[in-house]
Amino acid sequence: MDSSSSLFVSPEHQATQLRRVVGGENLRPRYTPPWTTPYIIGVGGTSGSGKTSVAAKITASINTPWTVLISLDNFYKPLTPDQRQLALENNFDFDQPSAVDLDLAYECMKNLKEGKKTSIPVYSFTNHNRIPGKAISIYGSSVVVIEGIYALYDQRLLDLMDLKIYVDVDLDVCLARRLSRDIVSRGRDLDGCIQQWEKFVKPNADKYVKGTMKNADAIIPSIGNIAVATQTLINHIKSKLQEKSRQHLDELTKLGHVEELKLLSEMTNVHQLEATSQVVAIKTMLLDKYTSRDDFVFYFDRIATILVSRALDDIQVHSNKRIITPTGAELDSLMVDFDKVTSINIVRSGDCFMNSLKKNVPSMAMGKVLIQSDSHTGEPQLHCEFLPPKIEDYEQVLLVEAQIISGAAVIMAIQVLLDHGVQLGKIKVLVYLATEVGIRRITNAFNDAVQIYAGEIIPSESLGAEHCSWARKRFIDSRYFGCD
Amino acid sequence: MSTEPFKNVVLLPQTNQLLGLYTIIRDQDTRRPDFIFYADRIIRLLVEEGLNHLPVTPRTVETSTNQKFDGVSFMGKICGVSIVRAGESMEQGLRECCRSVRIGKILIQRDEETALPKLFFEKLPEDISERFVFLLDPMLATGGSAAMATEVLINRGVKQERIFFLNLICSKEGVDLYHSKFPDVKIVTGAVDSGLDENRYLTPGLGDFGDRYYCI
Repeated sequence: MDSSSSLFVSPEHQATQLRRVVGGENLRPRYTPPWTTPYIIGVGGTSGSGKTSVAAKITASINTPWTVLISLDNFYKPLTPDQRQLALENNFDFDQPSAVDLDLAYECMKNLKEGKKTSIPVYSFTNHNRIPGKAISIYGSSVVVIEGIYALYDQRLLDLMDLKIYVDVDLDVCLARRLSRDIVSRGRDLDGCIQQWEKFVKPNADKYVKGTMKNADAIIPSIGNIAVATQTLINHIKSKLQEKSRQHLDELTKLGHVEELKLLSEMTNVHQLEATSQVVAIKTMLLDKYTSRDDFVFYFDRIATILVSRALDDIQVHSNKRIITPTGAELDSLMVDFDKVTSINIVRSGDCFMNSLKKNVPSMAMGKVLIQSDSHTGEPQLHCEFLPPKIEDYEQVLLVEAQIISGAAVIMAIQVLLDHGVQLGKIKVLVYLATEVGIRRITNAFNDAVQIYAGEIIPSESLGAEHCSWARKRFIDSRYFGCD
Repeated sequence: MSTEPFKNVVLLPQTNQLLGLYTIIRDQDTRRPDFIFYADRIIRLLVEEGLNHLPVTPRTVETSTNQKFDGVSFMGKICGVSIVRAGESMEQGLRECCRSVRIGKILIQRDEETALPKLFFEKLPEDISERFVFLLDPMLATGGSAAMATEVLINRGVKQERIFFLNLICSKEGVDLYHSKFPDVKIVTGAVDSGLDENRYLTPGLGDFGDRYYCI
């Protein structure tokens, strides 16, 4: 209730706050998730040059779930009935730049570059049309590889790319590759393919594609063994990505330190559970390494239920409803709608709250986000997200995590919610055990506008004094679920 | 006799959530599954609040990082005593917080001849005098049966200050009457209603709690 004024930040207010940050007038650090600065690699070359296998090799060697390979083939323009007839007779020119919807490709790449959720059309080579209702949804990618004959053609696309690769190969080799591919994988006949090559592919390659070589940063000669050239490029890409990881981590670290330090107790967005005797007694049980698992689960469920209920205390009031009680009394009574609350659990530790969330709102829609820290660097990485449909329509989104240590996963998860249209003022972070630095990072990253409900926040002094090192170790979910 | 009004009455914080929960259970159009669920939620809040008033004792434990942590642990044994039948609806909420808690029962009904409450049955833990007692009855209207049940407890050696009377709705008259006899019993409640109607029901109230929880 005390927080209601700051809780429902209007979108306009949010927008001005964000503008302030973007405009650089506000010198506070700001969080940039890795997917809003994706590393974009373009791979171009004539048809059959082997660019697809080079692109696939790069994608495979980076080997992370947040690397995405996009083919410009997806952006072929849908054909009109007349054009489709031409295509069936192998008389349609698929190899001229105008056959590809480069405007749409640019829109999509621009969205990806800005970290937005993006839909890529799916093209059917059999029907020569986009498959209706089918699209590939891409979100959270921090490395994007885009390949196609015209990948290096459009200046707008080139401007978005961090690395431009051209795969150069003799056109005769291209023809041989094309024939085997089109006949085996795409179900065409030999005569048709040759006709198409002579009429369209070769002339366009000479006229348009070869010229894009000058736009490339690197050219792979695709004759014989291309492994060395590809590996050299991969090494270069990897070193760039490491640099990007380091910057991301530095930024996360900086968020913990801000000039004008407010005391935790003065932070109006942070709500700590009052340390009543029960709360302290339950904490004692949970910290005791000799507590049985059975007891651990029981007491965690109990404290989690208290915490969830506390976070729901200032649930949005809908209206007053005139009700009649069975004694015949009429009264105007305040209405709330628990179905307008959803929760997003950060896998796995947030899942410790599943029981208690259901205890409070049995039909609550639950989403999941899997964010893991890189085992070497500690950099948080978004693996996948399953969010309830129309998540932006909920009145409250509880983001749930059993423990916050660095705060990085929660910051990343909040960004995921914002990218899916959830307003900052609707997000409530729910955590049982948190470190002060983690709480400060989250608060700083989002301009104090995100509400945090914590069971307990361990102050930095206590952590430094080494007697609270249990707060720096993830133990709740491993004990709750019974496996490390 | 309690001199200060509402001394020893613990009222749950009147948050949006709590008020919303009461709207649901008061509404005559709320069907039984919802009534049960939302009444149970309020009961859980009452139990948690009641438990917070129990004393604790210091306890040092060893954490998983092998450090000592100076905490506290629950002190003293507790038991629940429900007034049959409506009070029994609150047992589950108590069990959810205290798994193997002992629960005694008291049946009090109105004597047809005198129209006064009469004790029909009691079954209480042997060692109840050593325990903290959570007396469970969802509605404190006139306080007649609650007072009689408390009398039974005191006769069994339970001290007033070790009794916590948990109810969902009470009236000021009920509280005053009850506290005039047992000023040191803590009443934990979620709503204070304006008074009683001609049938001695709390108003606005929510009707007969037992009927709504068990039958209607």
